[in-house]
This record gives sequence, structure tokens and C-alpha cells, in this order.
Amino acid sequence: MIFQANPIEQLLAVLGYWDRLLSGFLLTMWMYIWALLIGFFIGLFLALLRQYAHYSKRWWFIPPLDKIATVYIEIFRGTPLIAQLFFFFFLPNALNISPDIMVLKTSFNFLDREITLKLLDYPIFVGILVLSLNSGAYQAEYFRGSIISVGTGQLEAAQSIGMSRLSSIRHVVLPQALRRVIPSWSNEAAYLPKYTVLVYFIGGVEEIFSQADFIQHKTFFPLTTYIIVAIMFIITITLISKLLDVIHKRTRIPGL
Amino acid sequence: MVEPLLRISDVWKSYDDLQVLKGVSFELLERDVKVIFGPSGSGKSTLLRCINMLNPPDKGEIYLRGSSITAPKVDLNAIRTRIGMVFQHFNLFAHLKAIDNVSIGLRRVKGLHKKEAYKKALEALNVVKLAKWADHYPAQLSGGQQQRVGIARALAMEPDVILFDEPTSALDPELIGEVLQVMLDLAKAGTTMLVVTHEMGFARAVASELIFIDEGVIIERGTPEHFSVSPKSERVKQFLRKLDVLYGSHEKLLDISEEEEKG
Repeated sequence: MIFQANPIEQLLAVLGYWDRLLSGFLLTMWMYIWALLIGFFIGLFLALLRQYAHYSKRWWFIPPLDKIATVYIEIFRGTPLIAQLFFFFFLPNALNISPDIMVLKTSFNFLDREITLKLLDYPIFVGILVLSLNSGAYQAEYFRGSIISVGTGQLEAAQSIGMSRLSSIRHVVLPQALRRVIPSWSNEAAYLPKYTVLVYFIGGVEEIFSQADFIQHKTFFPLTTYIIVAIMFIITITLISKLLDVIHKRTRIPGL
Repeated sequence: MVEPLLRISDVWKSYDDLQVLKGVSFELLERDVKVIFGPSGSGKSTLLRCINMLNPPDKGEIYLRGSSITAPKVDLNAIRTRIGMVFQHFNLFAHLKAIDNVSIGLRRVKGLHKKEAYKKALEALNVVKLAKWADHYPAQLSGGQQQRVGIARALAMEPDVILFDEPTSALDPELIGEVLQVMLDLAKAGTTMLVVTHEMGFARAVASELIFIDEGVIIERGTPEHFSVSPKSERVKQFLRKLDVLYGSHEKLLDISEEEEKG
């Protein structure tokens, strides 16, 4: 029989690598926040195109932007994220381009240890880029749903007092759609940290799962290691959900 | 001859296969109030939506103070500031207070500063007797109050004419009165109005002409007296009878139920 340390010893052994857990977690969160933020703008833009761009088709020189947005959304929702990561990771190589991405590092002292964090290099760049493009496709559909839910009545009312279509969307539809989208959009905010860990598979990114892998090889306690990682995720995602709940309540329209 | 404020000339409109308007023409003079009525699906709302170009007509011309608004390259946004619209379901901006609902056009379209826009918006809210409710959101107002904010929103832009699309038909009976009162006041103050409504009391009080539309054409038109005394077409008589049953006196309702009992 294989010798097993008791749970407390296992826990202490794994937590002995807390600096790696912390730096891995921070890098994952770093990529997550950028992807969510960039994905927000991509998603909003795509949703607006898909919902409103067909009105400009009377000008022949403008391509059917709503159709293009739809194709984009379907491609990114219809293919595995891991395939998208590999595709963009290997694309420069296939095109004989050597990607030249600035390397960004930061280090700080926490308790008794120095923590070095790589914030940007080529794999991290690919990770943030692909997660943003992918998240944008999903966010687009949340936004489109909430834009549709605002309805056309108010848009028409805005136009009936002489507001341009663009101004009506900006000042009447969007302020309401962005409030309404929060509950369903929180899905994306809660999903994305767990998608972000897929960056692990393109290799060379010292995010949480590569650190966990390192730790479980050192300690031989994979179960404990991954339980701790899981707990870090559940706490983070609970906090994110709570935060969005608070924002939703704070931005509530009185009377509704 | 006086140039009409609004001239609708042979307007046609279809949605896909459905021909909604089949050549409607009439004129509206300055300070004039006309009422359009007719069964649902007859094209009344579509007609109003054609006039402010939310749904441009397929065929025909619409002139505002003599200049065509259906011609190509007309700045529709500029035209719409001169044609107010009050909607059946109010269509207030749900995220804005009453005062902001009324002032948003002044600020975003006419480019007024906030202070100036608020002053004008408050005047408009005063006309509809809602100045006290300026800081309330639409969802905090009753249906009648919401519709009056809708009227104030149109009014604040100082349009040449205001179109009313069944302004009271989504309201509780008890709330209709306050909206009609505001509309009566506006009419008496000389506002040019084109009103789609079945409120015959309102029509009799202020309309210079009633226009009955069915299946996309004008069936009959005339003064309120004409319709209450001697409507010609059978379709109009039939429709007016039904209105009378719905909105008429209680005795008549009783008569009918008695007849039904006998039958």
C-alpha cells in the first residue's frame, strides 16, 4: 500500500507553495479581466451591428454588417475554444511571421516571499486575444437579447421628437439594455474564469493550472492541490456574482 | 386660399402583401383639429406613422407647410421635430424622470443647455398639470399621468402639429378623462391636432371634421353634427351603433340586455 499523509499534512504541504498559487491565480484573473472587458466592447459592437445594421443596406457600398456579425458570432460560438487558442497560437508560425510581443513583468514582495508575475508575452497575448474574441461572441447575444427586450416603441418615440437613430440608440436604448443585461450577462462573467484556464493547454503560461501541476508533482498530492484550486475559484466566482447583484440593484430604475 | 399646414395626397402603404392604405387624401389647416376613426386594422395608425415618416408611404405625397416631406433627401429628423407624436402605449423613456423625458429632445436635438431645457420642459409639464411630478420615473406614474408626460414630451418641441394615436385606448376608464381634458385645453389654445380616437365626446367638442377610414380608404367625412345626425354609409352607421353600445348611455345598455332576455 502506498503511504498517505493525513489531510492536514497534505494541506500544509500544498499551501507551502502559496506564492505559486497566488501568482498563478493572479495571472488567470489578469487574463480574465482583460478578456471580459475587451469582450464587452466587442460584444456590444456586434450586438448593435446585428440588431441595427441592416437598416443601412440601401447604400450598396456598405457590406451587410449584420450578416458579418452573425457569421462571426456563429464561428466563435460553434467551435471549441481550445481550437481557437491553438489556431491563433500557431497562425503566425504557419504564415512565417515571428510574433513580436512586448514582454511585461512585475514583481512584488508579499509576506516573506518575492512574487514575480509575467503579465504579457506571446502566449499570454494569444490567451487574452482569443478569450476576448470568444467572449465577445457570447456577450453579443446577451446584449442583443436585452436590446430586443427594450422594444421598438421607445426608439420610435425618440425618433418622433427628431432624435437621430444613432442618438436614440445611445441615449434611450443602451442605458436600459445595459441595465437589463446584468443578470444574464453575469453568466458570462461567471463562466469566463473557467474558460480562461484553457490557456494552460497552449503551454508556457504560468497561470493557475500550470502552477497546480507543478505543485502536485512536487508534493504528490494532486487531490488536495486541485481541491484548493477549486475552492479559490468558487470563492472568486461567488464574489463576482455578488458584486454584479449589487450593481444590478444600485442601477435599478425606480418603480420598475 | 390659405395654404394648409398639412396636406396628405393619395397616400398608399403596404406591409408585405397587406395593402393597408389605398390612396388617402385630406388637408389640415393651422389651428385645426381633425379626428380619424374607424375599425381596428383600417389603417388609422399606419396613416399617422406615414405622416411623421416612421413608416414612409409607398406612394403619394405629404406636404408640411407647402414643402414635400416625402421627397428624397429630406432631413427626416428635422421634419420630425415639427411633427409631434403621442403614442397609444405612451412609449416613455423608462430610465428617465418625467422632466428628462420631456427635456431630452430639447437637449439632444435642439442643443439647449440643461438649465434652459429644464425650464421649457417644466412649462410643458405645467400645461399637462404634472409639474409636481417632474422627478418621478414613468413606472411611478399612473397610465393617465404617463400619457400626459407623453403629450408634454411632444409639446416641448413646439411642433407645428401633434399626431395622437389612440391616446386613451390603453387607459382605465377613470384615467381617460384627465388625458382628454388636457387635449381639450390644447385644442382650445389653438394647437393643430390630428387625433385617432373613438372618443366621440372629444370629437364633438373640438373637431372641425371627422374622417371615417375603413380598409385603407376614407369612407366618409364630415362635421361631428353630420355623423351624429345623418351619416350616409351603412358601414359608418353600423360602426357608430357599436360605439354607442360601448360608450353610450346606460339606458341603451339596459335595452340591449332586456332584448337579449326576451329573445
